[in-house]
Amino acid sequence: MTGAPPAVVLQGIRKAFPAGTGRRLEVLDVEGLSIGAGTWTALKGRSGSGKTTLLNLIAGISLPTAGAIAVGGVDIVAMSEAQRDGFRARHIGYIFQTFNLLAAFSALENVMLAMMFTDAVPRRAHRQRAADLLARLGLADRLSHKAHQLSRGEQQRVAIARALANDPPLILADEPCASLDAETARDVLAEFSTVCREDARTVVIASHEDAALAAADRVLDMAEINRAGGRDAARERMTPA
Amino acid sequence: MTLGTVALRHLQERLVANVLTVVSIALGVGLVIASALLTRGVKETFVEGTTDYGLVVGAKGSPTQLVLNVVFRMDSPTPNILLPTYAELAGDERVELAVPVAMGDAFQGFRYVATTPAYFAAFRWRRTTFTMAAGRLFRDDPAGSPTYEAVLGAEAARHTGLRLGDRFYEGEEMAEYPLTVVGILRPTRSADDRAIFFSLPSYWEMNELARQVQIKPLTAVLVRTKRMSDLPALHRELNVSAKTQAAFPSTILLAIFNLLGLAEEILTVILAIVAIVVVSYLFVSMYRSTFERRREIATMRALGAPRAAILRIVLLDAAVLSTIGAAAGLLAGHAVAYVGAQLLAARVGVVMDPFALGLLQPVVFGGVVLVGTLAGLLPAMRAYRVEVAENLAPLS
Repeated sequence: MTGAPPAVVLQGIRKAFPAGTGRRLEVLDVEGLSIGAGTWTALKGRSGSGKTTLLNLIAGISLPTAGAIAVGGVDIVAMSEAQRDGFRARHIGYIFQTFNLLAAFSALENVMLAMMFTDAVPRRAHRQRAADLLARLGLADRLSHKAHQLSRGEQQRVAIARALANDPPLILADEPCASLDAETARDVLAEFSTVCREDARTVVIASHEDAALAAADRVLDMAEINRAGGRDAARERMTPA
Repeated sequence: MTLGTVALRHLQERLVANVLTVVSIALGVGLVIASALLTRGVKETFVEGTTDYGLVVGAKGSPTQLVLNVVFRMDSPTPNILLPTYAELAGDERVELAVPVAMGDAFQGFRYVATTPAYFAAFRWRRTTFTMAAGRLFRDDPAGSPTYEAVLGAEAARHTGLRLGDRFYEGEEMAEYPLTVVGILRPTRSADDRAIFFSLPSYWEMNELARQVQIKPLTAVLVRTKRMSDLPALHRELNVSAKTQAAFPSTILLAIFNLLGLAEEILTVILAIVAIVVVSYLFVSMYRSTFERRREIATMRALGAPRAAILRIVLLDAAVLSTIGAAAGLLAGHAVAYVGAQLLAARVGVVMDPFALGLLQPVVFGGVVLVGTLAGLLPAMRAYRVEVAENLAPLS
């Protein structure tokens, strides 16, 4: 932990989804959570425990049913959707479990794509910035390769480079190694850890991997922080809207 | 990278489907352009090629056939009338000008038209006048002393490659009567461009039947009366006769236009159906593409792409497909019109410009791009509403 102000603060967060016939499925209920700037926080828990939902809320991809979320001291729930999109592009890097590279784009273009939606990097520097990031992750000779021409480990490195493209202070990673074999997962995680630590970024990573949990400054068990108990528990006590 | 690059990459990704979409648009546009050009060309041919004479006098039979053959060089010739009919008409005090015409065979598909130099004379009432591009008119030679001098219409000269002084004939049996090119006419944008003119005495000598008879045959006489009011009486008198009929070219033209109008209406309905099919195809293609790309759209949204940017990308896709399809369709339409024009010229003597430019092309092009882009609007709205979190979930 560092003495810096928190990068993420959640207060009284609840998230429920419509479940048909007027009923709602409450999958997340977190009383309060503060994540320090420049720290690594790992979220662990079984599938359906609410890890992805929590990351999506922090990213502003979805909104809570109730509660407040501040990222870098800014209340993202109060923002308009367009403001949230702009904020996310500039301040948050997101790494997906299945990489989500755009198939028609080269590795370089996939990274440049992230820079299109904010002016964090001057337009004329997009190509160079993307090339530098890919080189830093050992992909200097894979710039023009399309996703299907890359190994899974290489694809995830491209996804990491894309998350770092706008130099965001906060990185959210949702099971980044779940689609990789153990050895590749270890390598990718090590590189990810190195580049994020070097730049003192705040990282929130949802993972089952022991290596990811071991690398974290703090490990949060969803079973402890999520009072709703996740998807399965919510189904058992489904409540009317 | 720009939104345009993103749209282009998406189009490349579904290359086969997009090429098919472009081809379907191009076929639709090509059909519209070709139909419009050919229909307009045929109409203009009849309007511009119509005669300034008030009456066409020929043998009993179909007046439409008489006018189509004598004025537009279509259809087969009507039976012959005899030279005295011409003499009677020329001598009629109500007639300002009577021009005898005999329709003969053809050289390389270009019809022989035997007449007198009066056919080419300039009159105040004439809408178009004949001018020579090279050489002179054939001589008005006396009967029995044919000179076999020929004057070629502009298209006939261009197509056959004949020049001044060249001698030509079609078929060995005509080798004894070769025609000599003495003049080439400038284009008139009428059926005369595809005709080969020479004197009646030359025609009578070349025609085996005419050589054997004393009273020489004609196909028709073109008549211009001094007063319009004399036309009905003259028309009636000639039709009462057992041997002749008289036809008003304007009446025949009107009947042809009515027929064309009906064909045009049917064509318009067919083209409207084609347009609906093409727009539907584009719509379905875009909709399907958006559905297949919802995960990519969700990814871009997660990277911070605003909904408006996604909307613009999908609309740009539709606009690019429509623009390429419309441009290819314009080219294809003119190519089909060119082939159609060649067929019409060869088979029915209709001379038209398949590359005529006007309001048609920009209106069709602009319309297709606009409608095509609008066809992408609903898929774009679907993309606009893509639920990010839902579509980011790993595929199971």
